[in-house]
Amino acid sequence: MGAVPIHWFLLLAAALFSIGAVGFLLRRNLLVLLMSIELMLNAVNLTLVAFNRVHVANHDGQIMSFFIIAIAAAEAAVGLAIVLAFFRLRKSVRSDEAHVLRN
Amino acid sequence: MLSQLTSQFPANDFTLLAAVLLLPLIGAFVCGIFGKRLGKEGVRLMALSAVFGSFIASVVTFIMVAAAPHTATKAARLSWKAWHWFDVTGRGRSVVPIDVSFSVDALSATMMLIVTGVGFLIHLYSTGYMAKDEGFYRFFAYLNLFIFSMLVLILGDNLLVLFVGWEGVGLCSYLLIGFWFDDEKKAAAGKKAFIANRIGDFGLLVAMAMLVYYAGTLSWDGLEAAQSAMAEQRTVWSASYLREFPDWLVWLRDLVTPEQPVRMMVATMVALALFIGCIGKSAQIPLFVWLPDAMAGPTPVSALIHAATMVTAGIYLVCRTSFIFALSPLAMAVVAGTGALTALFAASIAFAQTDLKKVLAYSTVSQLGFMFIGVGVGAFAAGFFHVITHAFFKGCLFLCAGSVIHAMHARVHDETASQDMRNMGGLRKYMPITHMTFLVSCLAIAGFPLTSGFWSKDELLFKAFTNTIVPLNPNIITPPLWYGQMIYAIGIVAAVGTAFYMFRAYFMTFHGDFRGWSIVAGFKPPAHDDHHDDDHADHDEPLEGPVPHESPRSMTVPLIILAFFAAIGGFVYAEPLHQVWPLEMFVSLEHFWSPVFATASKFVTTRPGSEAMMWPLLGVGAGVSLFGIGAAYWVYIVQKGEPAKAFVARAGGLHRLVLDKWRIDELYDATILGLIDAMGDIAAQCDRWIVDGIIAKLTSGVVKVTGHALRLLHTGRVQVYAASMVVGTAVIGWYVFTPHAEATIDARRVRPQGQVRFEAAAGHGYRYRWHIDGETVPDIFSGRRNFSMQLERCEQKTAVLTIKNAFDREAVTTYTQCRESKPGCCKPTDTPAPKKEALLGRVDGGVR
Repeated sequence: MGAVPIHWFLLLAAALFSIGAVGFLLRRNLLVLLMSIELMLNAVNLTLVAFNRVHVANHDGQIMSFFIIAIAAAEAAVGLAIVLAFFRLRKSVRSDEAHVLRN
Repeated sequence: MLSQLTSQFPANDFTLLAAVLLLPLIGAFVCGIFGKRLGKEGVRLMALSAVFGSFIASVVTFIMVAAAPHTATKAARLSWKAWHWFDVTGRGRSVVPIDVSFSVDALSATMMLIVTGVGFLIHLYSTGYMAKDEGFYRFFAYLNLFIFSMLVLILGDNLLVLFVGWEGVGLCSYLLIGFWFDDEKKAAAGKKAFIANRIGDFGLLVAMAMLVYYAGTLSWDGLEAAQSAMAEQRTVWSASYLREFPDWLVWLRDLVTPEQPVRMMVATMVALALFIGCIGKSAQIPLFVWLPDAMAGPTPVSALIHAATMVTAGIYLVCRTSFIFALSPLAMAVVAGTGALTALFAASIAFAQTDLKKVLAYSTVSQLGFMFIGVGVGAFAAGFFHVITHAFFKGCLFLCAGSVIHAMHARVHDETASQDMRNMGGLRKYMPITHMTFLVSCLAIAGFPLTSGFWSKDELLFKAFTNTIVPLNPNIITPPLWYGQMIYAIGIVAAVGTAFYMFRAYFMTFHGDFRGWSIVAGFKPPAHDDHHDDDHADHDEPLEGPVPHESPRSMTVPLIILAFFAAIGGFVYAEPLHQVWPLEMFVSLEHFWSPVFATASKFVTTRPGSEAMMWPLLGVGAGVSLFGIGAAYWVYIVQKGEPAKAFVARAGGLHRLVLDKWRIDELYDATILGLIDAMGDIAAQCDRWIVDGIIAKLTSGVVKVTGHALRLLHTGRVQVYAASMVVGTAVIGWYVFTPHAEATIDARRVRPQGQVRFEAAAGHGYRYRWHIDGETVPDIFSGRRNFSMQLERCEQKTAVLTIKNAFDREAVTTYTQCRESKPGCCKPTDTPAPKKEALLGRVDGGVR
C-alpha cells in the first residue's frame, strides 16, 4: 500500500478539483453545482489525507478532513433547502434565474 | 469675648467666612434636592435658618472688622484662602497665581450685613408671599443660591472670585425672573436680562485680561500696590499696527491711521472696561433695558435682587477698585456722566408708567444712576451709602408693592390688572401697615429731610458740586471744571422728578377711592391715551367679591423693620450732623470706610470754599424734595389729576413716547437686533446654498457616480462571482510562485565614504545570495538580506542579488553604482541605471 507515491494522490485530487471547479463555472443546474462543490471539497480532503500519509506522526490532516466532511454535510443540507425553496418560487433549478437581488 | 474670637479666627486665616458663605449654599442644596419631600414647612425652616445663620456670622464678622487694628490709610482686612485655583501666564512669562480666597474689610462687611440682613427679611416675607405657589421649594433654593453667589461676589479677594459671584448672581437673577417659566413673556424677560448682562461681562473679562497683563495680579491688595503699572501710558492705536494690509485696501488704512500714535493710560482702559461690566449689571444707559422687564419675576425677587443687592454690584465693583478709577479723571467723568444721564432719563420714564412695579423699576434705574454720580465724582463713601439706604427704602417699597399686589389678587387674578395703579386707590383704609411703611419709604426716596435718603442723596450731590479729580500728571485728560456742576444740576432735576413720581405712585395707590370694584377676571386695561383717567370707575356700581385685605404678619414684619431703617438709617452717616455734634461713641460710616478709599481719596480734592456750601446745598436738597412732593400733592390730590390729564391732552405724542419708554427697546430692535438678525439670515442662506447646496450635493454626487460604476460589476449571477474568485486566486498564486528580486539602495554615503548599502525585500520562503559582479560567486543562499559595497574614488561596481523562493525558483537583479567624486569621471556603462536608482530605487528582477 505504501508503494503508491504521493504524486498520484495529488494529481488525482487536482483532477477532481478541476472537474469540480469547471463544473461549477459552466453548468447552470443548481443541483449539479452542489455536486461540483462536493467534488471540490472531497478533492481537498484527499489532499489532506494524502499528506497525512507522508507525515505519519501528525494527524492534523485527518482531523481537518473530518471537519470538512462535517461542514460539507451541513452545506449540502442548507444548499438543498435553498434549492428547494428556489424551486418552489420559480419552478426552476437554473442558477441564471436566481438574480432577484440584482433587479 | 472678642479676644477669644480673634484667637479663634486670626486675620490671615479667617475661617468664619466659610460659615457665612456655606450656610446659604447648604440651604440651596437641601431646598433644591430634597425640597419636594421636605414640604413647605421644612423648606421654610431650612431656607430661613440658613440665611439667618449667615446673618449672625456676618454680624460677628462686622464687629471683628470694626475692632481689628487699622490705620487711616491701611484698612483692616480679614482674609481666608480656601485653596489655590490655578496659575495664568502674565507679561514676560511671569506666573500669576489665582487663588480661591475671600477677605472682608469695612466696605464688604457693611455690604455683607445688608445682603444677609435684608436678604433674611425678604426670605421671611417670601414665605408669606409665595405660600400658595407650586414651586415653593424651587424658589427658596434659588433665593439661597442667590445669597451665596452675592456673598462670593462681595467677599472675593480677587477679581476672578468676584467674577464667579457676579456670574452666579446673574444666573440666579435669570432663574428667578423666569421663575414662572410657562409664561412666554417672563421667560423672555429672563433671557433678556441674561443677554444684556453678558454684554457687560465681556467688558469685565477684558478688564481682567488687561490687569493680568499689566499689573500681574488680580487680588485687591496687589492691584492697589500696582499703581505705577496702572499709571503707565500705553500706545493703543498706531500706524505700525496696520503694516500687513493688502495693497487694494491701502485707502482704508490711510483713512484710519492716526497722525500720532494714540496713547492711553492703563488705568483708563481698565476702568472703562470694568465700567462696561457695571453698566450691564447695574442697568445704566445703554444696557438698562433689562431691569424693567425683570419685574416679571416674583415681587420679593424684584426687591432683593433687582433693587437691594445684585444691581448695586456695579457700584460695589467701582468702590472696590476705586484706586484704579481715581487714577483716571476721564473714566471718572464717564462714570458720573453715565450715572447722571441715567438718573434723569429713567426718572422721566417713571412719570408716565401706570404699572406700580414698573414705576419702582425705573426708579431703581434712576437711583442707581445717583449712586454712579457719587462714585464718579470721587465720593465713594457717599455713593456706597446710597446703596445701603436704597437697599432699605427700595426693598421696602417693593415689598409694599408686593403686599398691594397680594391684596389686589383677592379681587382679580390678572397679573397686569392687579399691578395697575389705575385700579387701586384708597388702599390705606384696607392695609394700614403697608400704607404707613410705603409712605415712610417714599419720603426716604424723595429725600424728605432727616430720612435716610435725604442724607445719602444730598451728600453725593453736594460732593458732585464740590469735588474734582486731580490728575497724576498734567498730560492726563481731565474734564472741564464746570463738569461737576453740570452733574449736580442734572442730579437736582432728577431728584425733583423722583419726589414727584414716587408721590404720584403713592397718591394713586393709597389715596382717593378704591377703583378696583369694577375689575373682574379678564379685565382689559383701557388704551394708552386715556390712562390718566383716574376716576373713570368711580361711579360704577361695586361688584360682588372679596375686599382688599392686609397681608399676613410674615409679610408685614419685614416691612416695618425695613421702613424703620429707611427712616432713621441715615443718621449713621449724616455727615453734616456729625460735624455739628461730633459724638465719640457714634462713629460715622464714612470714617469707618475711609481707610478702604484712602488710596483713591488722594486724587480727590474739594474746591475752595466748599465747606461754606454745605448748609446752603443741604437746604437746596430739602427744598427739592418738598417741591416734588408738594407738586405731586397738588396735581393728584388737590386737582384730582386734572393737570396731568390736561398735559396728556396737549402733548399726547410726547406722552405716548414716554409711556413707551422713549421706544428704546424698539430702537435696539431696529438697529442691533436687526443687524444680528440680518447676519443670521446671511448665515442661513450660506447654509442653504453653499453647505447644503454645493458641499453636500458634491459629496453625494461622487458617491452616486461611483455606486453606478460599481453596480455594473454586480451581475447577480453566482457563477460570475465564482469565476472572478478563480481568477483572483490564480493571480495571487502566480505572484507567490514567481520569485521577485528587489532591493532598496541606501547611497547617501557613496560620495563621502564610498559605501553603498542594499537591503533585499523580504518574501515567503526566500533565501538570498549577494555578490559583486566579476568576483567569485559563493554557492550559499542564506537568510541575510543586507549587503554593503565599498567603492574607491571614481570606481564603478555592480552588485548582484540572487534569490531563491520556496519552489526553488531563482531570480537575479543587478545594481550598478559609481562614486562620482569629480564631475564626469563616471563613464556611461552599457547597462545604464535609471537616475532614481542612484538614490533610493527598486529594480524588479527577471527570472533567470
